[in-house]
Amino acid sequence: MSSKEKKTPSSTSPCAQLRAAYHDCFNRWYSEKFMKGQWDKDECANHWQKYRDCLSQHLEDKHLRRFLEAESGQIDGAATGRNIRE
Amino acid sequence: MVKAYTQEHVYKHPWERVTSASWRKYVDPENKRILTHIVEVDTLDRKLDLSSGKLYTTRALTIHAPGPWFIRRIVGQDICHCVESTIIDPKSRSMELTTRNISLQKFVEVEEKIRYDPHPKNPNAWTVCKQQTSIRIKPLSALASMAEKVEQRCAERFLQNSAKGRDVMERICKYLEAEASGISL
Repeated sequence: MSSKEKKTPSSTSPCAQLRAAYHDCFNRWYSEKFMKGQWDKDECANHWQKYRDCLSQHLEDKHLRRFLEAESGQIDGAATGRNIRE
Repeated sequence: MVKAYTQEHVYKHPWERVTSASWRKYVDPENKRILTHIVEVDTLDRKLDLSSGKLYTTRALTIHAPGPWFIRRIVGQDICHCVESTIIDPKSRSMELTTRNISLQKFVEVEEKIRYDPHPKNPNAWTVCKQQTSIRIKPLSALASMAEKVEQRCAERFLQNSAKGRDVMERICKYLEAEASGISL
């Protein structure tokens, strides 16, 4: 079913600010801790949770349901069964 | 019929810096002017395995992929949704990203795998990026009769976007390098 989807500018996304806050936290943690051997603590868990909650609320707006359905087959690392070699 | 190709690039920067740059590629505002095909990026899930240190991330990418009018008439839209899964193993210093389209699946299957590993000849200072892309037009789809043409155009577009992506990565790496040595650009 093809739908006309508008190009939503990222700056007007309802979760844009929470996303930016999460990214700032993540980038800092990634270079200053994670890359230096400190992976025993997930420091951005709070920022992530707030951002994630916002995404869940706006599920319909962003057609996220289809992403989440696809994503549930991805995290365990198993191939989704697509045969790309014929 | 599948069209597949591989690209390799060496960044003269350490793996830690290159992978940091990869995270910033779609997100930093300055890059959006160059990587115009990326409309939106959201993180859907992330898991940090505290014992192994591995970080698993899933992101949703919305990509603007305009084709010529004859493709647009069939496909009906310019927007493609993709899911990117990433695994980073900081202990072994490896990063692997897999991106697949989840919309337009009745027409096309695209899969891109990217790996970042320390360069075997200079593991502390250089990083190898290996990128493998495959495009498959679904045999019974309305695009099947011009599959070869469509695959060719897709490949050209991907190569263009990869080149832009690499330029952006190099720029970010230089910025991070300067930042690390206390020079402000």
